[in-house]
Amino acid sequence: MLGLEHVATTLTTWWWLLLSLIFLFYIGLDGADLGAGVFALFSPDEQERGAIMASMAGIWDGNETWLVVAGGVLFGAFPLVYGSAFNYLMIPLMIALWGIISRAVAFEFHVHATGSKKFWGRAFAFGSFLAPFGAGLALGATLQGFPMKAGPAMAAHSPGLFVDSPVPHFSGTALSFLTPFSVFTGFGAVIAAGLAGGLYLCARFEPGDEINRKAQKWTTLFSYLALATIVVTLIWSYSIFPWAAAKWTGANWWVWVIWLLVILAFAYKSMMAHAMQRDFVALLWGEGVVALMWFAMWATMYPYIVPDTWTIAQAANPADSIAVFTLFMTGFVPVMILYNWYQIWVFRGRYTKKAMYSSH
Amino acid sequence: MLVENTLPILLSRLDFAWITSMHILWTPLTIGVSWILFGLEVAWLRSGDERWYRLERFFEKIFIVNFGAGVATGVTMEMAFGILYGPFSQAAGPFFGNILGFETITAFMYEAGFIGLMIFGWNKIGKGMHLFATFNVALASSLSAYWILVANSWMQTPNGVVLKDGIFQVTNWWHAIFNDNAIWGFPHMWMATMILGFFVLASVSAWYVLKNRHADLFIKMLKPTVLALLICTPIQIWLGDSLGTDVAHSEPTSLAAMEGHYHTYLPNGSVNTGWHLIAIPNAQNDGNVFAITIPHVLSLLETHTLNGKVTGLDQFAPEDRPDVWVPFYAFRVMVAIGFFLFFMALWGTSLILRGKFTAAELRRRPWFLRLMVFSGFLPYLAIWTGWWTREVGRQPWVVYGLMRTYEGVSHMGIGQEIAWFAGYIAFELSVWAGAWYFFSKIIRKGPDLDSPLPGAHAPNEAAEAGGGLATPSFAKPVLRHER
Repeated sequence: MLGLEHVATTLTTWWWLLLSLIFLFYIGLDGADLGAGVFALFSPDEQERGAIMASMAGIWDGNETWLVVAGGVLFGAFPLVYGSAFNYLMIPLMIALWGIISRAVAFEFHVHATGSKKFWGRAFAFGSFLAPFGAGLALGATLQGFPMKAGPAMAAHSPGLFVDSPVPHFSGTALSFLTPFSVFTGFGAVIAAGLAGGLYLCARFEPGDEINRKAQKWTTLFSYLALATIVVTLIWSYSIFPWAAAKWTGANWWVWVIWLLVILAFAYKSMMAHAMQRDFVALLWGEGVVALMWFAMWATMYPYIVPDTWTIAQAANPADSIAVFTLFMTGFVPVMILYNWYQIWVFRGRYTKKAMYSSH
Repeated sequence: MLVENTLPILLSRLDFAWITSMHILWTPLTIGVSWILFGLEVAWLRSGDERWYRLERFFEKIFIVNFGAGVATGVTMEMAFGILYGPFSQAAGPFFGNILGFETITAFMYEAGFIGLMIFGWNKIGKGMHLFATFNVALASSLSAYWILVANSWMQTPNGVVLKDGIFQVTNWWHAIFNDNAIWGFPHMWMATMILGFFVLASVSAWYVLKNRHADLFIKMLKPTVLALLICTPIQIWLGDSLGTDVAHSEPTSLAAMEGHYHTYLPNGSVNTGWHLIAIPNAQNDGNVFAITIPHVLSLLETHTLNGKVTGLDQFAPEDRPDVWVPFYAFRVMVAIGFFLFFMALWGTSLILRGKFTAAELRRRPWFLRLMVFSGFLPYLAIWTGWWTREVGRQPWVVYGLMRTYEGVSHMGIGQEIAWFAGYIAFELSVWAGAWYFFSKIIRKGPDLDSPLPGAHAPNEAAEAGGGLATPSFAKPVLRHER
């Protein structure tokens, strides 16, 4: 017999899959925008930064909002995880949010600024660096898991006033997230974004245009950096995460080997396309690498949402809530994809530094 | 002061209050103005009068700067529940988290998916498609307000749930979504966004008339705006009154705090019907040190009878009473602004009826224009004070009557809380200063009256799809009279 509890776990698993997909949209789409911002850190003038910002003027907000949707889905489908993991990740998220704030306002202010143009250009570029760094820090920290305890979260400050609750809350300290590994993944995320941003800029600006020329070199450099980062991350994860090591060397080891080979094939295709300046194709193969690696990470974590901390089943909402969430929200996912795709499609095409800046 | 209001608990409340107050500075204007922009676009397409288009494009510049600030501060909000109020998020998740999830999927993303088309899509998509994008942005932002108000109202009147195993389990979704407070709370907030939108645009328009720049163009804007306000402002007073009577029975401590109403009965045993114009609550929070009181008014306001009983704070244990200072004075400021704005709408309408609503006549009455410019700031203050009334009035509960605020606070050190507070003060004050600086810059520069209309061939190649190098090959949905 299939009980209600079983149905709830199935629906929760469904949302675990959708959550992975939504995070992937964020990483794939906004990752490129953020990386282009990291590229703009090294721009010599405001014309170049302005052109880079203008090239994503119509789409950056939609791309960034996938992160908000991921947050909303986490809150809606996994409130137990949302309420404990975000508490744990306060400082990394704060860093990422401050980056996002700087960037979001810089987009609107830079156009109108005269005297402060340089300031807002820098705010855009530096915010674009902080956001993936904070996000990468948060991701690395999440992989490490975090300590939890049932009972009042702030017990020390209001003794004797609490009602008992069996729900476990985060119980570590402000700096529990901080390890060499999480700092490394922070920089790793910046490198990954830098590569995506380079591929995006190559595809976005006319061949021969100044930005395109610089982005070609940037992309080549970052593709090697990214490969090195991937190798280090895999080895490091293997040595410190028993749950990952057990899965990769378990009975199904050959699946992971094949998967790795496919990833390497995608990376090779991307680098070849890039070398031949088939820029949009290179961008797509590159995004393919991101997607394959992302899904591999989620598959490695299964059945955990947060390794060694929350499994999908433990984190499940009451059956009724997850059913309502599924009924009313699942249908909107393809709709969201559709209108985002339309918006990106309307703003497609190649630009030049001059034309883009003047229309800005 | 409540025993449970220790420093870390107070700081966590301040942390959240700050980011909420700095977020609500932006989104109401987005909601209100998006509908007004839609109205202007419809007016332009229907009448073919170019001036509506010029006005829309001008106000759109202010709108997008405001929108950027709203997004910047809004992403934080979505994360802040889990960061600052983790245990609350976990417990309330089965309802509250669902609603916030609904909001991001059906509203936040919906808006983001069309905002690019609306702002940068002129000349890239057909006029009909553009109008559709503007409409979607407006609808999405109102939907967002709806879900947020449902969630917040549920914290005031948590209907349709039971607290079981430490979490709120929903027993009736209809009761929870259409909870007592949401019935009046959402219309009241939504109307506030419309009034804010109209008054900000009226304020900008009045400034131009006062300075005699593009005066006729902005009179064209000001006139219908004043008429719309004549409808909106009295409705808002009625909605506010309805919300107040609802709060009086569903959340009596909040209402009593708003009115500084400590004693249900007078010392002689009769019902205390007095309404305080001014009151100074005592330190024990069990009476007023001083008050100017008008008898019968409180009963009239809350029960619509002369001597109806209104529950006072003395009916509740001292530890269940909210602080009175903030709700009492914040509420009075909000109400005073509400009536003043109604007066401005009446004044403007009387000028229209007497045929005095022309640029020349109005400049002969500069005080109307000056007060109109000033009135653009007042709805902001009314929204702030209204929200503070609501949030402080609910204390010491985070979910009224079911979960106390201190139970919902995340596991944090004081250092963390101060870092958050200091960082967000710096970032959000910069956002505020920057946005208002660029508002004034856009306003000083004035509307662009020369660039070609959409549909006319743009000489600027960059304004076309793909920088003029790619033309959309899809059939554009166009209105019939476009060509």
